Order: sequence, then structure tokens, then C-alpha cells
Amino acid sequence: MAAIETENLTKDYRIGFWRPQPYRALDGVTLHVEANEVFGFLGPNGAGKTTTLKLLMQLVFPTAGRISILGRPPGDLDLRRRIGYLPESPYFYDSLSAEELLMYFAGLFGLRGPGRQAKVSALLDQVGIGGERRLPLRKYSKGMLQRVGLAQALVNDPEIVFLDEPMSGLDPLGRRAVRALILELRDRGCTVFFSSHILSDAEALCSRVGILVGGQLMAAGRLSDILAFQVTGWELVMSGVTPSMFAVHGEQVRHVTAIADGRFTIELAAHAEPDRIMAAARAQGGQLVSLNPLRTTLEDYFVEQVRARQAGVPARRAMPEG
Amino acid sequence: MNVAAARRAGRPGWVGIAATLSLSAVLLIAALGLQTVRQRRYTVSTAGTEVLYLRSGAAASRLALAYAALTADVYWIRAIQHYGDTRRSASPDKPYALLAPLLDLTTTLDSRFTVAYRFGAIFLAEPYPDGPGRPDLAIALLKKGLAAEPEKWVYAQDAGFVYYWWLHDYKNAAAWFDRASSIAGAPWWLRSMAATTLTQGGDRRSSRQLWRQLYETAEDTWVKNNARLKLAQLDALDDIDSLAGLVRRFTLATGRPPSAWSDLVALRWLPGIPTDPAGEPYQLDLSAPGGVTVSRRSPLFPLPSQFGSTTGPPS
Amino acid sequence: MARVIGLIAYHVFKESVRDRVLYNLVLFAILLISASYLVGQLTAGQDIKIIKDLGLAASSVFGLFIAVFIGVGLVWKEVERRSVYNLLVKPLRRQHFIAGKFLGLALTLAVNIAVMATALYAVLAFMAWSQPELAKASVEAPVVDPNLMKAFALIYVQLLLVTAIALFFSTFSSPMLSAAMTVGLYVVGHFNADLAHFETVVKSGAVAGLARALYYLLPNLAPFDIKAAVVHGQPIAAGYVLLTSGYGLLYAAAVVGLAMIVFARRDFK
Repeated sequence: MAAIETENLTKDYRIGFWRPQPYRALDGVTLHVEANEVFGFLGPNGAGKTTTLKLLMQLVFPTAGRISILGRPPGDLDLRRRIGYLPESPYFYDSLSAEELLMYFAGLFGLRGPGRQAKVSALLDQVGIGGERRLPLRKYSKGMLQRVGLAQALVNDPEIVFLDEPMSGLDPLGRRAVRALILELRDRGCTVFFSSHILSDAEALCSRVGILVGGQLMAAGRLSDILAFQVTGWELVMSGVTPSMFAVHGEQVRHVTAIADGRFTIELAAHAEPDRIMAAARAQGGQLVSLNPLRTTLEDYFVEQVRARQAGVPARRAMPEG
Repeated sequence: MNVAAARRAGRPGWVGIAATLSLSAVLLIAALGLQTVRQRRYTVSTAGTEVLYLRSGAAASRLALAYAALTADVYWIRAIQHYGDTRRSASPDKPYALLAPLLDLTTTLDSRFTVAYRFGAIFLAEPYPDGPGRPDLAIALLKKGLAAEPEKWVYAQDAGFVYYWWLHDYKNAAAWFDRASSIAGAPWWLRSMAATTLTQGGDRRSSRQLWRQLYETAEDTWVKNNARLKLAQLDALDDIDSLAGLVRRFTLATGRPPSAWSDLVALRWLPGIPTDPAGEPYQLDLSAPGGVTVSRRSPLFPLPSQFGSTTGPPS
Repeated sequence: MARVIGLIAYHVFKESVRDRVLYNLVLFAILLISASYLVGQLTAGQDIKIIKDLGLAASSVFGLFIAVFIGVGLVWKEVERRSVYNLLVKPLRRQHFIAGKFLGLALTLAVNIAVMATALYAVLAFMAWSQPELAKASVEAPVVDPNLMKAFALIYVQLLLVTAIALFFSTFSSPMLSAAMTVGLYVVGHFNADLAHFETVVKSGAVAGLARALYYLLPNLAPFDIKAAVVHGQPIAAGYVLLTSGYGLLYAAAVVGLAMIVFARRDFK
């Protein structure tokens, strides 16, 4: 049974009061997320990621299409006992402290007594809220609110966690911590569905991704399938060389660019043999600085999809299976 | 996916809306049911429990700040309601206690509130149980109006009416009509009215003239209707004179008074049961002057007493 | 379900306490105590009646303020600030949320009225104890009159009705507009009885019919006001209090039902 499934999910809004124009926020999105996956839901701002999450949480009702989470409809109460949700830029209650908030939410799940207190303390420790947990939430920074949001999403030990922009507002330390948390959740058997526009996070965390542009799902599948993780070229950085040394290799060498202090970046084609070219240059007195393979990044793929959508033409890469 | 679960967990559709509206409607009907039971079982008489916290017009106008006119309206509405509720109430004791203070407050807050003066005077002068029966308070109210606006001849005219109709004081009535007629803008007939009142005060013809003038010149519907009622009463008195004449003839002829109108109808002296100008049949009542009177149900009841019974032989 | 509603209600109460709403009680106490002090100097023998009138009227007014100003923000504020998202994805129905909000404000109002009633009784008891001649002067009703509780009870039920109306508007309308509409309905509710008599003054049958329909549909608030009767010692039957309370509670329930359906269908954009 898939953890999350949507079929042809569509959401129209009516914009305007006197003569409402329909605005299609989401158009026929069909998604499939298996259990224990980390699924990255990616897209530029305004693509409809938050709308999708709200539909999954039944904060908003679909115009058409079907949603099934753990085999149940999104509003089902038993389902809600088993999932957690972190909204974008979460806001809580000014006058409560983080601890009181979590105790309140834990109570809504039926947790009681000392077990509840222990759970709340542990969660706050885990997300890195220390002594501030007794202060009212109005005094918290954005980053701290984000952590509290994560904590409240996990208070019921959910099987699936839905995170809307979990890294927003966090400093590099915080982001690293959240990444570690997501991987830990995966290791524990949780399914993680998160939306983001930061692609490097997705690359680091996700087993599968979906790319949403303008309300439409442009691509969804295993990251490795999408990117094919092929080497597209090499980047050789050497010092003590001159561009003419490389002319002999013909079309294996795409570019030679001077950096500084006599160092040059030599971009090689994918089919080139970097060791041979390097050895030849070293024989002429050059020194190796670094040698790196070039692979397509998610960002390249992403930009390509967005541009294709905006140009109205089908993207060059077909939708892989997944 | 379980279809029933999906329906329960989804957005409430037309069925959900209809169900909720029905439930709310049922609750509302139940509430109204309780209200009806309460209204039947417990009549908290408002006329008795009404409290006028503020009796001083001066204090009221200070408290009303910039909203004196609106506050005057509120007190005026209260005055009308107090009059209406007391008059309509089922209890035999009708105090009308707050009427004069409320009218006083209204006219202090808004000294140009014409209707309050005019109709207030009518309310106050009405004899018990239709009103407190205080023509003196009515005169006082009208005097207050004149003090605020000396050019309002209608107040003087109304004061004349009160003296004429309720107090039967024809000398003062004439004096007031005279005073009214000397105010700029007063109609020409007031001067002749003053003269007529002095010489023939108390007879039906001059009364009829008075009320007719008032009826034709009054702009307020209420004042007009009041005048029309008085005219109808005068017509009823004329009718009663004629009918009383017939009753006397019958008694002389048969040796006993008629027991019902059918007796007279049988003799072809009447075409049918005689009705008053309001449509209610006249009553044969040996205790009434002339043996005939209006029905208690008629809006003309009670007839003014000062015009006596028959005047002259039947036609 | 009851537990969830109870938690939400308790949270509303806690928030109003933290927002210092209950400080109005301090103002009330000051008002009552200073009035009891001054009234002896200013009036001739109406002391007890004035204190009772003041206490009951102030309870009603303060309670009304709380009911309206917190009521119109109950749902709206949470939706504006999007704190409602966290709550609605927990295992509860949207209807439970509305019920919890209503009961929370009901609890706040109950505490408020209870404290005010206690304060009034305390002041009256003190006056009776310190000035025994006042007790002799109050022939209509005893100084410390248990019937005042009946007045307080009906004040409370009326406030619940106002709360329900404010909550209903709060589910879809901004606080300003909701407050205006709620206060408007409150005022209309007091003159509701006049609508029933319209047919005697108005000629058009259609208008009279409409007036009658409005008389039934709109809340009838005048019967809740037994302050004057209680102060004058007039007997108020327990049945009257029960039936009027019943009307108020059922009407409030009907309105809360409407709030629930509006909220249940909403998209939170």
C-alpha cells in the first residue's frame, strides 16, 4: 500500500469578488509515495507546493481528484493520529510557552500524565530548544519557531511526516540538524514528505522527488533516474601550465580558462581520458591542483523543466517511471 | 478506500449543509416553543415594573450630550409604548404613572417636538381608563410648548379644545381660541370660533364646526383621526336623538318600551338594525338617556356626556 | 471527543486569562466599592437599590464587552495568523474546534459573572452589616437577596447567546464587521417584542407578516432582563428562569450549529 497517493488532484480558486475568475492552482497532479521514502516535493515559488500540502492535510478541499494517505481519506481522524504536519512559517499562540504548546498538542493526541511530560521534554531536546522552552512563544525567533514546529509535528510519533519548507528560517547549523533529523526519521521507518525550493537539500536527502511548476507535475521519480548520475565532463585544475599545452588533445578539451596565479581550469569532454591529459601536462612541468567529474545537478534539471514549462514546450527529458 | 469514511471525512456537501440547517431549524423551533410556553404561563406585566430612573429633564439633557434629539425620540417612543401597553393591559388598574414624566422628558430634550406636545395633550386628556384623564396636565404641556415656541398657534388652539371638550370651560376655551387667532399665521376661522364658543359653547353645532375645522386643517394623521372620531361621536348623538324619538313613540303606542330593534323593524319604522357611523349596532338600554346608546364594542364608546339626550321632537 | 473539546476550551480560557481579560473584574470591584461609598452621601434612602442596579447593570455591560470582543476574534484571529493550521490537522473534527472555542469563552464568562456576583453580594452584605437601618428601609427585597442569582443566571445565558452570534460571524467576517453586526443584533433583540405588535400599527399585510417572521427568527432578548423586577422584590418564578434559559441555550446551540457548518466548508487559502 502506498503511503501517499493522489490521482488527478486539481484545485481551482475563484479570484475576485464581483466577477470571480477561476485560477487553477493545481492541475491534475498524480503522485505516488511509497512507505519509508523521503520524498522531496520541489518547485519554484508559487508552483502550488503549499496548496498540495494543504490538500493533503484537508485544510483545503479539492476541486477534482482523489487523495489517499495510508489508504484513508485525508480528513480521517485515525489517519490524523498517525501523521504529523509542519506548516510553512508556523505561528502558534503568543502567550503560551513552547513547553505548554507541546503539552497541549500532546494532550489532543490522548497523551497524559508523566509520559506526556517526558515525551515533550525529549522532543524539545531533540530539536534544540533548551531553557527557552518556558518563555512565551512571542519571544521566539523565526528559527526557534521552526524548531518548535518540527517538535509539534513529531509529538505523536507519526508514520508519515509532512513538512512545508522545513529549512526556512534556519541558519546553517539548524539546517544541518534538520537534515540529520529527516534521515533519522527515515531510519526509524517514517515516511517523510517535504516541500522545498532548496535543491541541494533534496539531493542530499531524497530517494524520490517530484517537480511542480505552475500547478503541474513536470516530473516525478527516483532521483537517480531523473539525473541518471552520468558524468557529463571533467574539470581539471592545474598550475604551471599554458593553454597551448592542451591544444594537442583536440576536441577532448572544451575550454581552458585562466583563474589566477598561473592556474588554469581545463574543462574536458565526457568521453575524454583525464589521466592521460593530466600526465601529459605534468610531463611538461604542470602541477595538479584538482580533478573533479562534472554531473548534472538537480538544479540543471530543475531549471530546464521550468524553462520548458514557461516556453510551453514539452521538456526534453521524458517523465521517468516511478 | 472506504466510501463511507470518505464521505464522513470530506468537505460537507449539500447533504451536510441541509442536515445542519435542519438541525439548527429544529433547535430554533424548540426554543420558540419554550418561549411560547413561557409567554403563556408567566405574564411579567411591564406596565407595573417600568422604572423611570431619570425624571429630571435638565439632568437628562446633560446626560444626552450631543444626542438630545435622538434621546427625545427614544423617550417619545417609550411614552407611546407606555400609553399603549397600559391601555391594552388586562389588569383593571391602569396607572399611566409614567406618561406625564416621559412626555416632560421628551419635550425638555427637544422643545420643538410638535407631535409630542399635540398628541401628548390628547393622551393626557383622555378620560380613564383610556388615559389618565388629566386635562390639566395636557394644558400644562401645551403651555410649555408655547413657552418654547410662542408662534405655534396650534398649541393655543389645542389648549382651547381641551378647555372646550374635556373641561367644559367655555370662557377659557374662547380666551384660548382668541389668543391663538391673534398669533401670526393662525387661520381666519379661529376668531369666529372664539366668538361662537362664547355664545353657544356646549352645543353640538359649534362643536361640529370646531372639529371639522381641525379635521380639515390638521396635518398629522393622528390629530386628524382624533377629530374624525369626535365628529362621528357627534353624528352618533344625532342618530340617537332620532332613535330615542322612535323609542318614545313605541312606548307611548304600546305601553311598554321595545325589547329589541326587531319590534320597530316589524312596524316598518326602521329598515333594519340601526348601526352607528363605525358600523356597530346601537343598543337599546333603558338606563341610557333616551333609551339608546352605542355598543360597548364600538370605537365611539363612550360618547361625550355633555351633549345630553334628545333635543327636540322627532322628525 | 469530549476531551479534545475540553482541551480547546481550556486553552481559550487560559489565553483570555493571559490576555488580561479578567482585569475587568478589578475595574468592576472598584466601581462597586466606590459607588457604595458615595451613594450614601448623594441619595436619600435608595442606597441598596442603586447598588443592586449598578452591580447587575455593570455585570451585564462588562460581560457584553467580553462576549463581543473576544467572541468576534475567536475564529478569525486563529485563521488570520494561521495558527489554526496546526490545530485542524490534529485528530479532531472542525466542529469540535468550534465547540471548544464556544465553551472556552463560556467558561471565561462564567468565571467573570461568578466573581461579579460574589463581589456584589459581598458589598451588599457589608452594607447590611455596617448600616442596619438600611435593611429596615428595604421593604421590597432583602438586602442580600438570593433572587439576584436569578438575574445573574439570565444575564449569563443572554451572554452565551451573544457569544454564539459573535462566534458565528467570526467564522467568516473580520472583527470590526462582526462586532458591528453582533452589537446590532443585540440592540434589535431588545426591541424584538415590538415586531410582534407591528400588525396593529402597519396596514400592509406583507410588512406585518415579515415583521412577525423576523420576530421569530431574531433573538428575543428583552425577557432576559429581570434586573428591575428582582431589585423591586417582585416574585420571579423558577419556571420563568428555566424556560427563558432554555430558549437562550437552544437558540445559541442553533447558531453554533450554523458556525460549525460555515467553518467545516471553508478553504484555508
